[in-house]
Amino acid sequence: MLEVRNLALGYGKVPVLAGVSLHVAAGEFVSLVGPSGSGKSTLLRAIAGLLKPLSGEIRRGFPKEALGFLFQEDALLPWRTARQNAALGLRIRGWPREKALGEAEAWLSRLGLQGLGDRFPHELSGGQRKRVALAQVLALRPRLLLMDEPFSSLDAILRMEITRDLLRLVEGEGISVLLVTHDLEEALALSDRVYLLSQGPRARIAKEYPVPFPRPRDPVGVRSDPRFGTLLKRLWQDLEEVALCAAS
Amino acid sequence: MRRVLGVFGLLLLWEGLSASGLVNPLYAPPPHEVLLTLWGFLASGEAWPHLQATFSAALLGLFWGILLGGALGLLAAFSSLVADLLEPVMLLLNAIPRVILAPLFVIWLGIGLASKVALSLVLVAVLIFFAVYGGVRNVDPRLVERVRTLGGGSLWLLREVYLPSLAAWVLSSLKVAVGFAFTGAVVGEFVAASRGLGYLLSFAQSTYNAKLSLALIALIVLFVLFLFFLFERLERHLLRWRPQVGGQG
Repeated sequence: MLEVRNLALGYGKVPVLAGVSLHVAAGEFVSLVGPSGSGKSTLLRAIAGLLKPLSGEIRRGFPKEALGFLFQEDALLPWRTARQNAALGLRIRGWPREKALGEAEAWLSRLGLQGLGDRFPHELSGGQRKRVALAQVLALRPRLLLMDEPFSSLDAILRMEITRDLLRLVEGEGISVLLVTHDLEEALALSDRVYLLSQGPRARIAKEYPVPFPRPRDPVGVRSDPRFGTLLKRLWQDLEEVALCAAS
Repeated sequence: MRRVLGVFGLLLLWEGLSASGLVNPLYAPPPHEVLLTLWGFLASGEAWPHLQATFSAALLGLFWGILLGGALGLLAAFSSLVADLLEPVMLLLNAIPRVILAPLFVIWLGIGLASKVALSLVLVAVLIFFAVYGGVRNVDPRLVERVRTLGGGSLWLLREVYLPSLAAWVLSSLKVAVGFAFTGAVVGEFVAASRGLGYLLSFAQSTYNAKLSLALIALIVLFVLFLFFLFERLERHLLRWRPQVGGQG
């Protein structure tokens, strides 16, 4: 599905990441965590094709159009309605207007925004705007969804609700996900595997954790599983170690 | 509504003052006489060539000024070469009172319509240039990146990001541009003309005809208000996505 081998990335000649290898299988949900400044976002931008690697390779088992992105800023067009925003990607792909708007409306409903299609972004709450942005991406039926702290601007409850809906949809559609987050609990609750990046510069993958909880999964309920606590503790310790390692 | 009442009250006060003989009707003729003069002027038919001259100069200047200013603004925003060439000239033109160019235009283009259109155009074009140029620089880069990551090229960017974003900037300048266009036309006629409201105004001045002056002023005000009204409708339609259209408008 996605295979990254021996990747080195940087701005100019200064390497941010070096020798990074990872993979995402079909239908798999993978998270990328690490100390701040480890280059998580840089790595995601490179996979998205927004940044050219210094060396190494990124192999996709699917065309570029099947990549979906959801980044931290909700960049909805303020002069277009929720429905028009959700349809934007489809329109760019050459869908006829009416068909694109119909499909967009269906995705808005799936994300719990039925009846809000005619609203402009300023008439929606922060959580609803995120849902429109999500509908915009999912309407393109991506095979791999790249997300960089997509919901970090939302409060805890909204965030929980939207991630639950997201998980339901990606599980249902069989979409692979690569999520960058600083929230270890979120990473464990959602993922099948978690990668831990080491401290930069020249950050690489320090560790990899399989997450054993079955799917479909309730991202809230799973937190009461005793293994969840054990895993979370290990993740915390390793993260601390990685951060200390660089400091000494 | 209160504003309309305010204007109406002021007119009533004026009417009352001249009726009571407190102001000299030669200098400040009462509103109803101004209206009658205006009506007589329009009804006699001698008004039309003058109206036609001024309005065509102002509207042509407005139209071409918006087109030229907008096109140059876009070019400057997307090409640093054009920006470097144009910006100093535009800044200079922006800094001076552009009406001082009027005599020059008369020398170059004669006392006909062309010199008035030119003045009007220069007044408007510089204003619109800066509105468009500034507008493009203020486009939200996150929106540009979003459309790009969705696979959109230049055409989509222009249509979905740049033009709507510019509309907000340019629309608020348009009303000022209307005023500028008429300033250009009328000042051009002051300087040298054989027709037009500016020409009539300077004629009214030389014959101490305050009534005619006021009637002509009223006529221009009414027409500009009408254009404002049209632009406001346009603005409200185009900017309905904004939290509130209002304040400065």
